Amino acid sequence: MDAVGHEIAASLLVRVHKARTLASRERARRQPFVLDVTLECAPGITILFGPSGAGKSTLLDCVAGLVRPDSGSVSIGNEVLFDSGAAVDIPVYRRGIGYVFQSLALFPHLTVEENIAYGIGNLPGAEKKQRIEEILSAFHITELRQRKPAEISGGEAQRVELARSLVTNPRVLLLDEPMTGLDDDLKAQIIADLRAWRAARNIPILYVTHSRSEARALGERVVTMQSGGIVSEGAQL
Amino acid sequence: MAPLWLSLKLASCVAALLLAIAMPIAYWLAFTAWRGKFLLEAVVALPLVLPPTVLGFYALLAMGPAGPLGKFWNAAFGHGLAFTFGGLVIASVFYSFPFAVQPLMGAFESIDGRLLSASAVLGASPWRTFRSVILPLSLPGIVTSVVLCFAHTLGEFGVVLMVGGSLPGVTRTASIAIYDQVQSLEYGQANRMALVLLCISFAVLVLVYAVNRHANPYAGRRLWTPWATK
Repeated sequence: MDAVGHEIAASLLVRVHKARTLASRERARRQPFVLDVTLECAPGITILFGPSGAGKSTLLDCVAGLVRPDSGSVSIGNEVLFDSGAAVDIPVYRRGIGYVFQSLALFPHLTVEENIAYGIGNLPGAEKKQRIEEILSAFHITELRQRKPAEISGGEAQRVELARSLVTNPRVLLLDEPMTGLDDDLKAQIIADLRAWRAARNIPILYVTHSRSEARALGERVVTMQSGGIVSEGAQL
Repeated sequence: MAPLWLSLKLASCVAALLLAIAMPIAYWLAFTAWRGKFLLEAVVALPLVLPPTVLGFYALLAMGPAGPLGKFWNAAFGHGLAFTFGGLVIASVFYSFPFAVQPLMGAFESIDGRLLSASAVLGASPWRTFRSVILPLSLPGIVTSVVLCFAHTLGEFGVVLMVGGSLPGVTRTASIAIYDQVQSLEYGQANRMALVLLCISFAVLVLVYAVNRHANPYAGRRLWTPWATK
């Protein structure tokens, strides 16, 4: 249990095999793509580094349950989320995983506060309110709460997106290039916020990037991917 | 003014029925990955290009005593379907089908797929995603669909004439009444009803455009356009 009384998630264990994804069918026709990865992530930040098309995002999609691997398994601690052998496939919305997408996906018809509250609708009113207040202040977005996504800047939207994922207290956090397009100062601030948050909740974080500087700034462990497979693994890039 | 009330009743029934029927079909057409979906899209759009008399003719055959629909109706309710209000409703549902499905389908298709993924990842069940993301974001399409069905049914003529004839109080809708009045040279009466129909149709279309103007703040700001308009 952590300081706030939430269960601390164990390691994430991923073993997936997936031949070409639907979205890249055209590309795949010319160049067959096979994702074949075995990865164990202990609590802490694991950087997934590699060029575009290496299969980093597809790997995250498999973990989240948005993409179904052809074979393999995904588990958090003792809980199996996916196992092709045992025909286990927990649906996305029951996996309890936080996922920040490569491009922003805030609900345009909801305010910042409503976006953040979206994932914790089941909580009792008082606790929900407290959690929202905490996360708003942790990511310095309290003053944006009544605004719609169209009325905030890109950097602010990134913060809201992070806050929306983290407020649910996910057991695993997937971040797909969450800093794309932000300037270095802003990146440093958001990384600091993320680090502070992580210090309180020790969960596995998979962080996808193709920027070396980001990988260096965050990396406790760096996994390098290329053409659908892991080519190297180390404490630093 | 009885024909006018009948027209409004018919249009309301058709619009309500079509919303319920078209919603799942539009959802399926918008999100399926099936390669043959263009065939179904063509079937859905068919009433747009068919002369109403053709549609009405086949509807009449199907509803007649020897037609499948007519036989079924007779077995279930003890009377035929042709030249009844129920028959009119069914024929109109087919006639306005594309007007119901196409705006809904367009609305569903235009929803960013990442929002659906985000909703699921945040723990929302399929129903909650439908209620909290898909429905609110396709509201303009839903309003357009309902209102177009209403207006289109209000103005239909050929199908009603073929399937319903002109039985006062049963199938004599406003457009049929206007036609009959002109035939018997009662221009004054025809004019009154035509004017009311014109006003209703205009008001309904104003409503559609007004709603869609307000509901689309996400299109992004245009700072520059190829040709400036005031």
